[in-house]
Amino acid sequence: MASLYCDFLYEEKHSATNILGAILKQLFARDVIPEPVRQALHEKMVLGGGRPVQLSDLVEMLKATIALLPGVFICIDGLDECLQKNRLQLLESLQEIIRASPITRVFLTGEPHVRDDIERYFPEAITIPITPTIRDIEMYLKMRLDQDPTPTAMDDILRADIMRVIPQNISQM
Amino acid sequence: MQSFGHSNTTYGNVTSSFNTTVNEPDGDNQIKEWLSPLTPEGRHQSVQPNRVEGVGDWLLQNNEFREWSRSQAVPGQAVLFCYGNPGVGKTHIRSVGKPP
Repeated sequence: MASLYCDFLYEEKHSATNILGAILKQLFARDVIPEPVRQALHEKMVLGGGRPVQLSDLVEMLKATIALLPGVFICIDGLDECLQKNRLQLLESLQEIIRASPITRVFLTGEPHVRDDIERYFPEAITIPITPTIRDIEMYLKMRLDQDPTPTAMDDILRADIMRVIPQNISQM
Repeated sequence: MQSFGHSNTTYGNVTSSFNTTVNEPDGDNQIKEWLSPLTPEGRHQSVQPNRVEGVGDWLLQNNEFREWSRSQAVPGQAVLFCYGNPGVGKTHIRSVGKPP
């Protein structure tokens, strides 16, 4: 499994090349680069003479590495936080990787408006809306109340009110 | 995703650091730096301690999620997209299936 969070604070850094490069690094099992991939990468690095890695080379190296593994999950979180041009390039590259290795599973998250970009490349993508469930909120509130640094300021009525009102309001997000 | 069992985590880390210090051929680090300046490992570690046990586990029982994770022969269903407005927990949901 390889995963990456696109942080808007560094949106310029989140080019398709940097994202896929980070994914590839994580696929090297126990941090060791498989020999055929190492040779190809080393050759490209030397031939490039100090130039950054090219996106097309990365896609080829990802395909070669994934082919050596039994089944790969790629998670990319916060797709809305990278620039649209980078997002489209990334999705196009993922499309190419999946064509070469259809068993690869890709888990993406983002704000609703990103869905159009995803469906452009993956019309059959499975989509799931994320909303906090009442049970999730109750579990979180209980943990916070149990860790209350000033428990003497709390009584049963206030606690019951918190457990009733907050889940109701938040679950409507 | 769930196949990354807790019991293997410690062993995996030990093996990983062993390979890094003893077996990794010269030049691997240079290649990795060239591949990307991003260091994604740190992010998951910063999300995980904030996650409350059990929160978001509903995703693992979701039929579409299960279909996606099992249907490895259906290329069209290779992609799962979880969407929501800011603050609903998309980043935390991603770490539901990952080891600590």
